[in-house]
Amino acid sequence: MIGARRDDGVTLEPPSANEPLLKVEDLSIEYRVGAGTFQAVRDVSFELYPGRVLGIVGETGCGKSTLAHAIPRLLPEPPAKIRSGKIIYQGVDLAQVPKWKIPRVRGTGVGMVFQEPINSLNPSFRIYSQVVESIRVRRMRDAGKMPSFQPGPQAFDYSRRPQLSTAEAMAHPLTPVLPSGIRDRGPPPIPKQLREEVLEALRLVRINDPETILGLYPHELSGGMRQRVMIAMALSQRPTLLIADEPTSALDVTIQAQVLSLMKELMEEVKTSILFISHDLGVIAEMADEVGVMYAGHLVELGPVDEVFGHPGHPYTRALLDSVPTRYKDDGPLPSLGGNVPNLSRLPPGCPFHTRCPIAEAPCSVSPGPLLEILPGRPPGIQHRAACLYPERVEARP
Amino acid sequence: MPAAIPTEEEASPLPDLPPPTPAPVVVRSPRAPWSSAVIGFLRVMRANPLTLAGFVLVVIICVSAIVVAAVPPLTQLLLGHALAATPYDPNMPTAALHQGPSFAHWFGTDELGRDMFSLVLAALPLDLAIGLSVTGFALIVGSGLGLVAGFWDKPRTLGGAVSTVIMRVTDVFLAFPSLVLALAVAATLGRSIFTTVLAVMVTWWPYYVRLTRGEVLAVKNLPYVTAARASGVSEVRILFRHVLRNILEPLTIYYTLDVGTVLVTFSTLSFVGVTGSITTPEWGQQVEFYQGLLPFYPWTVLAPGLAIFVTCLAFSLLGDGLRDILDPRSRRALIQAAQPSTLPAEVPAVAARGGGGAGA
Amino acid sequence: MGRSRTDLLVFIAKRLAVLPFVLLGIIAITFFFTHIAVRNPCASWIPHAHPGALQNCINYFGLNQPLTTQFVKYLSSLAAGNWGIDPLGGQPVAPVILAAVPATIELVLASLFLMVVIGIPLGVIAANSNGRWADHLVRVLYLSGWATPTYLGALVLAVIVGPAVGLPSGGAYTTSTPPFPQPTHFSVIDALLAGSPSGVADAFSHLILPATALAFLNMGIATRMTRSSMLEVLPLDYVKTARMKGLSDIFVVYKHALRNSLISTTTVLGITAGSLLSGTVVIEEIFRWPGMGDYAFNAITSYNFAGTIATVVIFALGVVIANLVADVLYGVLDPRVEWR
Repeated sequence: MIGARRDDGVTLEPPSANEPLLKVEDLSIEYRVGAGTFQAVRDVSFELYPGRVLGIVGETGCGKSTLAHAIPRLLPEPPAKIRSGKIIYQGVDLAQVPKWKIPRVRGTGVGMVFQEPINSLNPSFRIYSQVVESIRVRRMRDAGKMPSFQPGPQAFDYSRRPQLSTAEAMAHPLTPVLPSGIRDRGPPPIPKQLREEVLEALRLVRINDPETILGLYPHELSGGMRQRVMIAMALSQRPTLLIADEPTSALDVTIQAQVLSLMKELMEEVKTSILFISHDLGVIAEMADEVGVMYAGHLVELGPVDEVFGHPGHPYTRALLDSVPTRYKDDGPLPSLGGNVPNLSRLPPGCPFHTRCPIAEAPCSVSPGPLLEILPGRPPGIQHRAACLYPERVEARP
Repeated sequence: MPAAIPTEEEASPLPDLPPPTPAPVVVRSPRAPWSSAVIGFLRVMRANPLTLAGFVLVVIICVSAIVVAAVPPLTQLLLGHALAATPYDPNMPTAALHQGPSFAHWFGTDELGRDMFSLVLAALPLDLAIGLSVTGFALIVGSGLGLVAGFWDKPRTLGGAVSTVIMRVTDVFLAFPSLVLALAVAATLGRSIFTTVLAVMVTWWPYYVRLTRGEVLAVKNLPYVTAARASGVSEVRILFRHVLRNILEPLTIYYTLDVGTVLVTFSTLSFVGVTGSITTPEWGQQVEFYQGLLPFYPWTVLAPGLAIFVTCLAFSLLGDGLRDILDPRSRRALIQAAQPSTLPAEVPAVAARGGGGAGA
Repeated sequence: MGRSRTDLLVFIAKRLAVLPFVLLGIIAITFFFTHIAVRNPCASWIPHAHPGALQNCINYFGLNQPLTTQFVKYLSSLAAGNWGIDPLGGQPVAPVILAAVPATIELVLASLFLMVVIGIPLGVIAANSNGRWADHLVRVLYLSGWATPTYLGALVLAVIVGPAVGLPSGGAYTTSTPPFPQPTHFSVIDALLAGSPSGVADAFSHLILPATALAFLNMGIATRMTRSSMLEVLPLDYVKTARMKGLSDIFVVYKHALRNSLISTTTVLGITAGSLLSGTVVIEEIFRWPGMGDYAFNAITSYNFAGTIATVVIFALGVVIANLVADVLYGVLDPRVEWR
């Protein structure tokens, strides 16, 4: 299929597979806290095609993290509750899978990298035992000794995926700098048949000389190193879908850049589909093929990343882009939106943004607009949709 | 402030867009603060049935204690006439000896024909007063010392020296098993209710020193305390307004839980006989008095035992529940339940990371 | 300041170095307290004695000397290994107390075992069903243990439950002294050493009820702490990481979450030692358990000052050592802790 062409000359490649790997349909999630109910996610729909990266961007509290946690059913239920909608992964609706069967989907199916690497590694166990655990789950599932997820009939065939190789990975190795005062605890007791695989997993994330960190505890590693270990653990299970929930937000800027470039390289190598959550537009622009913009629990815009950021179809996206400071320019104060994000327990009727929207009209306060294609007729995967009744009034960025 | 009115800071208009249309102000019926607090309280309690049970029991126990102590005739009237039960007079024998629990004698009668319910009820004011006063004393003395020891603990200052002395003495007292120390104090001071109460007080304050000091240490270097100090607030004011105010919560929880514990400890001392022979009805002593009857007339022992149990359980349920509710995560729920229309507005977190990437 | 073995040894040595001062403080407080409050215990030791006998008693125990002199004398005799004599029986207190210590340790350890084996899983169950019926049930259960006075629980167990289920509730053996030697004074261990299966069964069955009584009343502490620290740990990211590896819920809870919750539970169990030891005073009295609690009670109430000070010191030693063990375990469980 030929890519769609916009008048500005950008060519968009449609995804190579016809069936999406993950299809979220009208997903609504609420929290019941005390006597109140908060709509964290409301009627969100999107597709993620195999081998693609979908970024989700939005402010703190817009529901993007809830969305990310809902897919592998990681939300504490209660207080969270999937009120309606479907999470179709590999042809199976995860929202309907019984709770006890959910662990089968995780790990080898859906992997996850969390925001703060200091919190996401268990402080009581050494690095090797945490990596071994991941690899052991995958090997046992491969060997059929542990029940694994049975995809539905429309599942994407992942056998065509290339095997991981670290041959080229060591172009930019990173030798761990050990904190001072750590005494050698001797070689960790890793089973022989797993040892090479553990080292391989750590080399994949460019950790040179991985033996040195195997015997350490997480708090003895630097933040960037911890996040590499997290990524190594997730990838060592060869997940078909990797959810990255703000994987770099807690890191220093220089480390952030390192980890991002690592993830970008890995994306090329492992061909895993990624759902990349971030509040940082720059990171999303760098990493994602497609981007979804969330506001107050709603997905207000979804489309190819260059197009959404270049020609936003929703006034909120526009305002979000305007609030990013531009390099080398000082145009006075950064623009910011008036008003507040509406209370999630009593959203106004209509478009969630209409109370703050500069181009709102009377119909906006009646019912929330559906995600509509801005340029109809494109193949799935590269459509640009916005939940705005007047997308043509949103100005393009200069 | 209603949520819809933007603050000055947030309202700087977009330069190339028309000024934002003023959002409709959410109109709320004016409501007295106490009534919304009551509504919030009820909402939280509905989610915590055990805490509610504890709260109701504590209220019932306290009210009954006051009624029994202050207006005996009212008690007599309520029990004897309104409920058609026991004639309220703990020492008046009835015709029935060794009667099991019945409608007329809720907790049965003893071998003299005295009504057990009346006996147990008569002991309520004393036991409750002991529980509240010992913990109150420990709270004031122990927390006072703990505040000082935690707040002025810089080494090589006067405060540091005082704090060291306080903590060393506390350590020594903490090393005593409390019941053994109380037993020794009560036994040597002479056997009476007063010396026993004194003995429990002597052993009880060190726990509050340790608890309070730990909380003060956790709070006193938090940024808001530093900020207060940086803006020239006096040390004493910081201690009371910023430190004490923020540790009241764990202290309250601990105090509530402790009332029951003190009651049990006191009744244990009373059971082993260090209160001496007294005429005032007291639960521990009642258990001791009847313990030989346990295999034959169990209600005589279980009635005062149950009274201690229920009183202690009531305070524990309340304290334990308060801990769960006042825990920061659920505390948010409390606030939101009380004022459902104000959610703390969050600052848009669109990070400023080398702007070139976006929209390229 | 680190985590090497030397650091640990230095840490323990430092803590033990403070111990003599704590014990000295305890001895001083107990000594002065008892001697000031009761200036002339002779009257209660020998009631209805004629004045001459009382004077003899006062002279014999040196009670007419200044308190400081008496204290120095007591300390010097203590340093020589003489713990004083029981004024009623006229025998030295040390051998009697030391023979009673193992029985108390046995009782306390047995209940600690029950608290850990039953209390901690209950806490885990409660935390995992937070806010649902299992949680409420466990909370009522442990708060009931908390709210039951020691003596009442012990009485009910000894008088009603014991006969009902056929478990003995008096002493450490069926006979007052067992038909085998008692080198250690731990009832079960002595029976094991003697190689007598019936003796082991007998000792064990006598241990069950008092240990259960002591454990039930203190179990709430372990359960409550496990529950609340589990509730803190369960929403943390590393538990989510473990879940996201595809591990089963039970594995995640018992390996990843419980391991970290135990850190706080251990500390609390250490603090419980004082409460457990206090509990033995009443429990041993009711179950006629031949331990220190029983002895302490009699010593205190009969103005046996030497016995009182000795038992209080040993109890305090137990509390201090239990806290030290808890602190060491804390560091062992949490690799982030440095010994200092």
